[in-house]
Amino acid sequence: MVSIATARIKREFKEVVTSDELTKCKIKLELLNDNFTELKGEIGGPPDTPYEGGTYQLEIKIPETYPFNPPKVRFLTKIWHPNISSVTGAICLDILKDQWAAAMTLRTVLLSLQALLATPEPDDPQDAVVANQYKTNNKIFVKTARHWTNIYAGSTLAAEPEFDSKVKQLIDMGFDNHKSRVALSSHLWNVEHAIESLYN
Amino acid sequence: MTSETNQEFNFYEDELIDEKIAAQQTAIEKEIANEQKLVGDLIELNTLLNEYLAEDTVYRSKITELSERFRYMRKTRGDGNCFFRAFAFRYFETLMGKPDEINKLKDLVNKFTSDLSQLGYNSFTVDDFKDVFIEELEKLNNTSDIRLLEEIFNNSGSSDYIVVFLRLIVSCYLQNNSDFYLAFLETYQSMKDFCSHEVEPMYRESDHIHIIALTNALEIPVGIIYLDRADQEKATPHNFPDDSNPNIFILYRPGHYDIIYRN
Repeated sequence: MVSIATARIKREFKEVVTSDELTKCKIKLELLNDNFTELKGEIGGPPDTPYEGGTYQLEIKIPETYPFNPPKVRFLTKIWHPNISSVTGAICLDILKDQWAAAMTLRTVLLSLQALLATPEPDDPQDAVVANQYKTNNKIFVKTARHWTNIYAGSTLAAEPEFDSKVKQLIDMGFDNHKSRVALSSHLWNVEHAIESLYN
Repeated sequence: MTSETNQEFNFYEDELIDEKIAAQQTAIEKEIANEQKLVGDLIELNTLLNEYLAEDTVYRSKITELSERFRYMRKTRGDGNCFFRAFAFRYFETLMGKPDEINKLKDLVNKFTSDLSQLGYNSFTVDDFKDVFIEELEKLNNTSDIRLLEEIFNNSGSSDYIVVFLRLIVSCYLQNNSDFYLAFLETYQSMKDFCSHEVEPMYRESDHIHIIALTNALEIPVGIIYLDRADQEKATPHNFPDDSNPNIFILYRPGHYDIIYRN
C-alpha cells in the first residue's frame, strides 16, 4: 500500500511543481521527507479578499491508505477564516472529508483551499467564533482577517494600526502577544471584553 | 466565563471529538478487515443458516429454498464497496480464459477513459486506475486458475483500484445520461453533485441507481436476489435490466451484497 501512495504522490508532486498555471496562482509544494509522506504546501491569498498579499503555509500528511483516503491538511500560518480553526489550523472542507475521491490530487486540494479563502462557508464552520463574526459583524470580520494576514501571513497591505495599539495595550498589561490578539479578535476589538476573557 | 469564551473553548473540543470519532472508525474498520477477506472463499450458501436464530423462520426458510438454486457463495467485506467488489470479482471470473471478451471490455474501458477526460477529469489519475484495471484483466486472458483471481481481489491495492475505476465508470455514465437518471436524485441539485457525494468516494454504499448504471454502462446484466424479512416464501429476484437473462448473481441482505452462484 505504501508503494501505491508513494508512486501517486511522486507524480502529483511533479504535476504541481511543473505547472505554470499553479505558479501563477502562487501555489507551491515542497517535499519534507524522502518517502513522500510529508509535504509542505504554500498558497497565496486570493486578490480582492482579506487574505490578499498573504502567504499561507500548509502541513500535508499522506496517509498509508492514500489515494483511497484524503491527505491530512492543516494551516500552519495563523488565519482568521470561518472554515479554518484560528487555534489549530484544522480545515473544514468537504473534499478533505467525506467528498474525497481517489481521482483527486494534491493539485485539486491546493486549488480548492485557495478557493475556500475567496468563498468562506460560514454555515459549515470550523471556527464558530469567526463564523459568527463573519455573519453578524462582517465589516469587523474583514478588518480582523486582513489584520491577521498582515501580522501572520506577511502581507504589507492595510495594517490596521488601531488594532496594533490595542494589542500593545494588553501586552503592556503583561499578556502574551498572540493571546491578546486572539482575545481582541474574538471580542470585536473591545478592549474591556478582551481583558475579561483573558482573566477567565 | 462569558458566552463567547465558552464558544471558543467548544470549537477546540469539537475538533478533539472529530479526532476521537475518526480513531474509533479506524478501529472498527480494522476489526471488520480482520474478520472478513475482501472477497471470501467459495462456501456453501446454506452455511448462512448459522447466522440466523432457529426461530428466525422467515430467513431460514428463504435460505434453505435459495440454496437449492444457488448452492455456492462468496462473502465480501462490508466496507461500503461490497456491491462493486462483488460485481467485479464475479464479472472477471466469467471472463477468465476468454481473450475476445476481455478485449471487448478493454475497448469499453478506453471509451470511458476518454469520456472522463472530456468531462474534465484529471487524466493521469484516471489513467492510473485504468492501467491497473487493464493490467489485472489481462492476467486472466489465458488462465482459469481461480486462485489468481482471489489473489487479485484480496490484494487491497489492485482490488481497490478496480473498485475506484468502476465507480468512475458509473459516475461517467450517469453524467453522460443524466436526463434519464435525474428522476432518481432526491436531495441533489445535479448529477455531478450526486456523483461526487454518492458514487466517487470510496466506501460509499451502492443503491439501485449504481447497479442500473453499472450494468447499462458495461452492458452486463446482473440478477440481484433480495433476502429480507418481507413476508414471501422465496427470496425475491430482480434482474437488471428487467428483461435480461443474467449470468452474474448477487445476494442482497439489507445493507450488504455477497456473490452467489446459480447451479
